[in-house]
Amino acid sequence: MSDLAHEAVVDHHEEHESTGIENRKLGMWLFLSSEFLLFGALITNYLLYSNRGGFPGPYPAELYDIPFTSVSSFVLLMSSLTMVLAHNALTRDDQPGARTWLFATAALGSVFLGGQVFEFTEFIVEFGMTLSTNPAASAFYMLTGFHGTHVAIGIIMLLSLWGISRRQGGLSEKKGLNLELVGLYWHFVDIIWIVIFTVVYLLSIPPA
Amino acid sequence: MSTEEHHPHPTPGQYWKIAGFLAAVTALEVAMFYIDRRLGLGALNSAVLLAASGIKFLVVVGWFMHVRFEKPVIARLFTAGFVLACVLYAVVLTALTAALINDA
Repeated sequence: MSDLAHEAVVDHHEEHESTGIENRKLGMWLFLSSEFLLFGALITNYLLYSNRGGFPGPYPAELYDIPFTSVSSFVLLMSSLTMVLAHNALTRDDQPGARTWLFATAALGSVFLGGQVFEFTEFIVEFGMTLSTNPAASAFYMLTGFHGTHVAIGIIMLLSLWGISRRQGGLSEKKGLNLELVGLYWHFVDIIWIVIFTVVYLLSIPPA
Repeated sequence: MSTEEHHPHPTPGQYWKIAGFLAAVTALEVAMFYIDRRLGLGALNSAVLLAASGIKFLVVVGWFMHVRFEKPVIARLFTAGFVLACVLYAVVLTALTAALINDA
């Protein structure tokens, strides 16, 4: 490689890490930071309409099954543990361990998502609370639906990484960063649920 | 994997302990929900639940997302997004709640 070409490669490399943080990682943090605005809007919308009376029921707060949702919340919280254990295993170059924890995270995420599908089905079929029943129901389905979509995307990314790791016999350093980025996304989905569980489920009051 | 981290990350054993703590706080939250139903704690219940939620949020961000061990710019970036969203929607919520009350 000529000196010029070598310099270009060095410059290119420095350009990518001028902040001292890998650009893709910085991009992920920026994306997650902006996601607060999306979920903030959806939570605010729910808070505005959750106990606004004058519409036909039922209202979401009348239907919540707290024991069921508590178990779902616990499952999602524990998926953050398995995610961080996958990342930890990879830093120790324990490829089979990383694969196992990745799969466990996807499995726990799927259990959470299954719970949400069950909850939605019960609300719609058994209690007749659809997206258009009242503004509170719309706000509830929008918020938890968007969160569920994020979980589903996370599961797809986790299973993709797991599949790549299985096929290639492990994750390279580059793919290792992918695992870290997916991990950040997954933990973010978890912290959003921490807020939703408290604000939407535990603190909601049905309209008088 | 990541070259810019300065402090050693927790061990798997420490991660399990952190998860145990998070599970315990979640159990406390659920217990508070039922205690409030019986005793009607009102604002105290809201304060405890929001504090518990905040603690869980900070623990996940700090330890599981490794913000404590990353360069400070990451924490600033993340905090900026969170604070911006909180301030923006606090204003929106206040303004629209007042408007809804006036309409009623």
